[in-house]
Amino acid sequence: MTDTIFALVTTWGALVIFASSFLSCLALPIPTSLMMLSGGAFVAAGDLALWQVIAGAWGGAILGDQSGYLIGRHGGAPLVERIAHTPARRAVLARARKVVDRRGGLGVFFSTWLFAPLGPWVNFVAGTTGLGWLRFTIWDVLGETIWVTVYVGLGYGFASQIEAVSDILGSAVGLLAGLAVTGAMGVWIRGALKAQKARATPAR
Amino acid sequence: MIPFLKRIWQAAPVATVILGGALAVSLFFAVRLVAFWIYWADPAHRDQAIEPWMTPGYIAHSWGVPREVAFEALNLPPAPGGPRTMQDLAAERGVSVNVLAQDLQAAIDTFRAQEDTRP
Repeated sequence: MTDTIFALVTTWGALVIFASSFLSCLALPIPTSLMMLSGGAFVAAGDLALWQVIAGAWGGAILGDQSGYLIGRHGGAPLVERIAHTPARRAVLARARKVVDRRGGLGVFFSTWLFAPLGPWVNFVAGTTGLGWLRFTIWDVLGETIWVTVYVGLGYGFASQIEAVSDILGSAVGLLAGLAVTGAMGVWIRGALKAQKARATPAR
Repeated sequence: MIPFLKRIWQAAPVATVILGGALAVSLFFAVRLVAFWIYWADPAHRDQAIEPWMTPGYIAHSWGVPREVAFEALNLPPAPGGPRTMQDLAAERGVSVNVLAQDLQAAIDTFRAQEDTRP
């Protein structure tokens, strides 16, 4: 598996990095981080040009995120409108929109690099709940810049231990994403428990 | 523990299921992280043997010898028009990757021996 990725990167260079970066931002399970690591390693070895690897990864990621956002905006938003026809659902939707409006920018920012496996879903949600395009784009570009720099940089710096870096980093990223979802569910459950208690002891 | 689980299950069943899944995923990656950490901490695992996906330039970088040493050992021009893997080179010449790898390894060993004897 790892060997196939490396061979693909040597044969197709920045093109395959661009394509995988784009597709993985649309939630397709493609090991783009491994591609960027190997891209950085081949830059260190003198086989690929640095600007091509950076441009491929960065361009693919931003175009992919924009596509995810637009799918949410033009596909997800009308669907949610239709589902939320009862007053109760409407209230939930309004609350979700408020959260996104308050914290959405930071959510997009961190989901592009620190919690990268959640990125595509955050893009859909941002588009669906109506996060402004400019705000989305600014945070997204900032985050993707960090993502690309960190991975290509690590590939470059640890070129001779690329397999070790990809194994360890891959696990760390998976762990972070798992913990982020765990934390989010904790917040959700706490809210639900509070609501239950409020119903059990109605206010005077 | 069990009463608590029952309470959160009644309050938010969907969130409870996702919570369980997320905890399982976190545990899996935590174990994997520790396992890889222990594996790669062993210096014996760090020497990268020559493999088909590697390019001559990458091998030279990985073994700490100049690029030219690897290119000369394989009779390659200095800039062969885009990177090529050992697999491609072997296929082109109708030999196995092992044959090429042995030639290259010999050149690397010679170069390193020369470096060591230099005052």
